[in-house]
Amino acid sequence: MVSAWAALALLPLRWPGMELAGIGPDWPLIWVVAWSVKRTAWQGLIAGVTLGVWQDALVNPGEGWWPSHALGLGVVGVLTALLQKDRLIQEDFISVALIVFAMAVISETVMAVQWSLLGHRLLGQIWWDHQRLTLASAILSSLWAPLVYVPLSRLWYND
Amino acid sequence: MARFGLLRRWWQRYTAQILGGVGVVALAVYWQTTQAWVLRELYRSLQGGRVPDTRLVDARVQELEVQVQALQLQNRQLQQLLKYQQQMPLATVATTVVGRSAGHWWQQIWVGEGSTKGIMPGAVVLAPGGVVGRVLDVTPHTSRVLLVTDPSSKVGVMVNRSRAMGILVGQGTEQTVVEFFDKNPDVKPGDALVTSPFSTIFPAGIAVGKVESIDWRAMPAPRAVVQLYAPVDRLEWVLVQSYGAKSPLLHP
Repeated sequence: MVSAWAALALLPLRWPGMELAGIGPDWPLIWVVAWSVKRTAWQGLIAGVTLGVWQDALVNPGEGWWPSHALGLGVVGVLTALLQKDRLIQEDFISVALIVFAMAVISETVMAVQWSLLGHRLLGQIWWDHQRLTLASAILSSLWAPLVYVPLSRLWYND
Repeated sequence: MARFGLLRRWWQRYTAQILGGVGVVALAVYWQTTQAWVLRELYRSLQGGRVPDTRLVDARVQELEVQVQALQLQNRQLQQLLKYQQQMPLATVATTVVGRSAGHWWQQIWVGEGSTKGIMPGAVVLAPGGVVGRVLDVTPHTSRVLLVTDPSSKVGVMVNRSRAMGILVGQGTEQTVVEFFDKNPDVKPGDALVTSPFSTIFPAGIAVGKVESIDWRAMPAPRAVVQLYAPVDRLEWVLVQSYGAKSPLLHP
């Protein structure tokens, strides 16, 4: 739980070297992937949705309909858990970094779809932003993922 | 009977998980309604620290300069528009920027003072240079500010020289865009933009930015790319001014 809080609290901090084109790493995403990698799809879903709702609390304005991070992170949680269930991938921090890269793309795409459906912003602008955000977020998050994953996996999966 | 046995065993096995899962999600949803009050307070308390004194003195000077500029513009306008009322700020607070947007699709900053210093939602946020945004919501010791570079932010602006009106809309990057009302506004590159007197959200006459280039062929009306005076991506401290009236914050 504490690590989840830390993942959320890290979001507003922008230490030098952590930013790429104004975007920081997606810490809750890394946390969800680290959590779901060795757990069932249901647990991955719960973790993703919970962290997504928390992240919404930090970012979304109070009134009106806004895209929710819960959808994206929920999908990520489920997919990550299913990946491991099939035993397609070995478990070391490089494969986690690759998973985070792919999941960042998925999560940002889910957000872009939500923005498109809600109609607050122009479609062209949404998908233009989507390219920029996805690339920066995927690169940064996957680079920082091992740093988060290694201590977390030691903490959780030590047996 | 066998059916019941199966059901009961299934229930016993999964109840804890289901209840736990539902409970966690419910808690998270409750959190969202309180805008993560607890987390933000905790985050702020971990940061600690007050604004250094020298910064406060500079902040005071900046604040006075901004007010002087605003008053000068106001005087000119008052001479032209006879019936005009300007609100005086209830509270002016200088504060540091403690965090940036917690989501990629938003341009927000967190500042280190909140309702204990009298900041209210809708308060105007200024930096050396001009307007940077508006307060979205407050907790006792933090405030969340929507920057003008966010696509949801719309600021009524006016060309200083010719009084051509437009709306400044964020693009999610450092560049913002003004959408003019007229098809033929009197504007050229290099013109200064200030907040318009018809804006219900911002007080009039505050510096915003400079016109860089104009796209005359945009539909339905010309648009111009604006370079903001305030260094929005490198903000370290800001001035927050609260006015009494509560105005609509966002127009989705």
